[in-house]
Amino acid sequence: MDLSREGVVDGLQRIVEPGDVITDEKILIESSVDNFRKLQNIFGVHTMPVPAAVVMARSTEKVAAILRFADRHGINVIPRTGGTATEGGLESAVPDSIVIDGSAMNEVVNIDAYNMQATCQCGVPLQVLEDRVRELGLTTGHSPQSKPVAHMGGLVATRSIGQFSTLYGGIEDMVVGLEAVFPNGAVTRIKNVPRRAAGPDIRHVVIGNEGALCFITEVTVKLFPYFPENNVFLGYTLKDMKTGFEALRAVMVNGYKPSVARVYDPGDAGLHFSHFVADDDCVLLFMAEGPAGIAKATAAGVEGIVAAFPECTRVDSAYIETWFNDLCWGPDKITAEDERIRQTRNVNRTTEISADWSSINDIYQAARARIIEEIPDITMMGGHSSHSYINGTNMYFNYFFNVVDVGPAEETTKYYLPIISIICEETLKRGGSIVHHHGIGKARAPWVKDEYGSSYYILETLKQAFDPDGIMNKGTIFPL
Amino acid sequence: MRFVVVLDGTVTTVARQARALAAFLRDGLGDASVELAGVTEGGRGELGGVTERGELAGETLVFYADDGDKRRLVDLAPTRDVRLVKTTARRPDLMVDDLLALGAGAHSTGPGTLGGEIALILTAGGATGAELATRLACRTGGAVLTDALSIEVGPRELRGRRTVYSSHLRGRFALTTRPWCVSIDASWNDGPRSPSLKPALEHYVLSDTDETGGAQATPFEDIELVAAPSTDDLAESRFLVVAGYGAGSREATKRIAQAARRMGAGFGASRPVVMNAWAPLDRLIGVSGTRTAPVLCIVVGASGAPALSWGIERAGFIVAINPDDHAPIVRDSDALLLDDGVAVIEELAEIVAAQREQGGAAPTA
Amino acid sequence: MGMGGLNTEAIPSQMSDLRVLACFKATPDFEALREADWATAAAGGVETRYVRRVLNCFDESALELALRLSETAARRGVRAELGALSVGGRDVEPYLKTLVALGYERATRVPPEAAGGESEVAGGESGLDFAPGVVASIIAAYAQRVAHSDLVVLGWRSGPGDSGTVPFRVAEALGWPCLTQVTEVEPLSDDRLRVACVADDGPLRLTLRGPCVLAVGNAVVSHLRVPTLKDRLARRHRPIEVLAAADLGVDIAAQRHRETCLPTGFETIDRSRRGVVIEGQSPHDKAQTLFDSRLRDIMETL
Repeated sequence: MDLSREGVVDGLQRIVEPGDVITDEKILIESSVDNFRKLQNIFGVHTMPVPAAVVMARSTEKVAAILRFADRHGINVIPRTGGTATEGGLESAVPDSIVIDGSAMNEVVNIDAYNMQATCQCGVPLQVLEDRVRELGLTTGHSPQSKPVAHMGGLVATRSIGQFSTLYGGIEDMVVGLEAVFPNGAVTRIKNVPRRAAGPDIRHVVIGNEGALCFITEVTVKLFPYFPENNVFLGYTLKDMKTGFEALRAVMVNGYKPSVARVYDPGDAGLHFSHFVADDDCVLLFMAEGPAGIAKATAAGVEGIVAAFPECTRVDSAYIETWFNDLCWGPDKITAEDERIRQTRNVNRTTEISADWSSINDIYQAARARIIEEIPDITMMGGHSSHSYINGTNMYFNYFFNVVDVGPAEETTKYYLPIISIICEETLKRGGSIVHHHGIGKARAPWVKDEYGSSYYILETLKQAFDPDGIMNKGTIFPL
Repeated sequence: MRFVVVLDGTVTTVARQARALAAFLRDGLGDASVELAGVTEGGRGELGGVTERGELAGETLVFYADDGDKRRLVDLAPTRDVRLVKTTARRPDLMVDDLLALGAGAHSTGPGTLGGEIALILTAGGATGAELATRLACRTGGAVLTDALSIEVGPRELRGRRTVYSSHLRGRFALTTRPWCVSIDASWNDGPRSPSLKPALEHYVLSDTDETGGAQATPFEDIELVAAPSTDDLAESRFLVVAGYGAGSREATKRIAQAARRMGAGFGASRPVVMNAWAPLDRLIGVSGTRTAPVLCIVVGASGAPALSWGIERAGFIVAINPDDHAPIVRDSDALLLDDGVAVIEELAEIVAAQREQGGAAPTA
Repeated sequence: MGMGGLNTEAIPSQMSDLRVLACFKATPDFEALREADWATAAAGGVETRYVRRVLNCFDESALELALRLSETAARRGVRAELGALSVGGRDVEPYLKTLVALGYERATRVPPEAAGGESEVAGGESGLDFAPGVVASIIAAYAQRVAHSDLVVLGWRSGPGDSGTVPFRVAEALGWPCLTQVTEVEPLSDDRLRVACVADDGPLRLTLRGPCVLAVGNAVVSHLRVPTLKDRLARRHRPIEVLAAADLGVDIAAQRHRETCLPTGFETIDRSRRGVVIEGQSPHDKAQTLFDSRLRDIMETL
């Protein structure tokens, strides 16, 4: 980098309105991290290099100009929209970075109900888009827990997945086209077509790039008809996860597409379902949706399949429906959780992986047992599978620990990273993927070469080609 | 049937208690009780409603600790007839003994006692009022309704309302045995919806007894009043600006607070705001914070979660400034500005300040 | 910081100098219900059976305050014995197990139904939600006959009933004073506590001597600590005591009959207003229109 901190700010102020270059110390400190260091954030302890500025992007042209400026001077750039990242993807790894905030680019550009697609700028909160299309009887089909706060740009950049993925797919199945800006200022638009066989699908260079290749300014996603009145919920209790995975597999391989298909282990079930399950019970649950005939047939099919597992005991569907209606986390729940952590120093973390049907239970059992054995002060070690496919499923490890004898800054090194390490090791050993949907960020970048194996060549070459000067979100995906 | 209003004159809040009880007697008795009272002998006047002259009939029992307070306390009574009882401060359990000694629990005819059957005992909102009402009901076999929003007096039972389900609903209750011991909801102050009542023009002190004798070991010692941390009282504020999480930052919250100050408004914040330390905790409005009743409330950037709605729902006029026309606050507001909250509130502060310089409306919170 | 069980090393003797009973209620999480769920209230009640349970927030403070009280007492050579009591069904057992793992020596629940009548369906509603007199009788009888408590600590109110009278009724039954809106408790000796509370006239501190009911309000401490899996393992054999109300001399059916403040119905709280949208080209325009059309008049009345 050939500019001083002041030089960076000065340069940005020549590109955008001076008011759009934020240099308030508190905001810069807040912008140096994401939820990967949530304990530090809660206690106001800051250890990451402070960015030089947060710059509010208000147009694709401004984004291009900022990126050209950063590239010319070798300044690290961190793209950001809703800021709900959990894996360190928004952390500033090096001093004097520029955080490009796309949250002000929040226009819903077009809702095309005839062609069933909606185009919006990167800073549109998913909740806003969803509410808008619901008025037309439509849905995006995308509903991650972060829906109330996450924005479209960030969701696409991190290969987000939502609660109804088993029917609608992840965001990669929803994006039909997009606009992205590369470090050299190249503005690229991928057109919105149903499908094409005109070479590799270049959408996937952008989707999931985590700000390490380009800045996403606009996305177009599919729309689906919305029939909430047809939703059918099914819930069961059972004694072990192995049976749960088997039941999920049976539903998937028999060709059914419930929108939700989940199995919770006893620890995780205790957090959500203690009002109707015993201490050591697992919970298996489904939601079928869509046109009446399909929803009904799906539910009946799932019911028939699960009936073949005598270990599964049916529970009143109203439990599942009521739980489901309160699943998203808005600012209220997040702040309440922060206060709980501040008082109790009991921290909740999650790590999600995926694997084929043959391996998933082994990974779950092995990682869980090792974490309980090797990591101190664990108060809950559990998880659930929430996204299933024809060939396998995911495991969402959900765990809590008390932070004892160390300050907030040491929480990641004493507890969180060692746990991530165990989960990654046990997953890689059995051929699974170490990241199902939160993104690699910086937290899991050390394992990226093991994750990719020989195919790392392709990933690495993308970085070299599109970001030859290495200014895009240093340390994310590609370890420093 | 007679009724007694109880004031705790051992603490400084007694004037507020008196105002609240007077407002309750005027506005808190449902229409049905007027009709019912109308068919009973003496009508509502005897039961303690408003007489034609606007004075309140009935009896007020005032606890006091210091002889020097007596004259002032008598003047606060919402009824003409007053009894004074000297007692130990902060001991509702002993005050109940005093009430029983005066015959509150039974037909009493002796000199210096309340006389006749007491049907209804009304206490102020807050912890002491609730404790007095509850303990009295326990000892007399009567029934208790705490935090009453309103009551309707019938010949055999008393019906009343208070909030239940953590403020999500109002419950209707029937009190089946007498005396009906009712503590009123703390919201009954002389706020905008209940303009202050004048106390009775003249008072008659029927009795004055000292119940502080028979000194027993006190369980409470070294009582030390801690200065309240807040300088302006949100609960009393008549003009309030409330910042929500949609303010988006500490900086923006500060600007909203500054705009509030410019307009002479009190400043409060929703839970997410104080939990993010964008505003101090004593600014919290809503569940677990202050419940307010301003004449005018401007809510900036709050979505309107139930916890906050509860804190502002008694406001006379609510303005919501929020870019999102789908937020719940939209249904909770009288006027809605779909815009960036900070920009609008600063413009408004400008307008109000200019108006004030011209000698126009000059609000003081 | 000790997040796990209580430090028992400092206890000078096995005698317990201060017996503290903390009481709690697990309620449906009302915040998880939707507006549509509340709208059915007027027609005949709210369905809360399907909602997860949470500790009543004031009770949660009470439970943590009792733990802290016990820790401070131990440092001052006073042994405080903690007991936890809930009038509740099987769905309170997870909480009782947690409390045992945290160092509560006794954890008891009294089913809210008459002996033999307890519904075995987990998650059933408590039949005593609007019967504060019965709940208080059970607590008082347990404190007196079983726990021989010196101090009863509990939240000042709890939904759905929200009567706020249980602490006073318990105090009345025991012949004790009651302090409400308690925010902090610090043991000074085996019979003296320094208590902070918020009275009607403002926050105050006082020294409490002798038995008392402490009704906890908006304490700064609002969350219960969390036991580790190892704490749970170490204390997993400690039993959860289930006592029938009859064993405490409380006849629930008869007592219920004697409740004198009876719920007769519910009303939804209509918080809706007119919501007139003020239009304008700019923030300034909108502010000016708002001021001219409405605020000027209102402000004159301030």
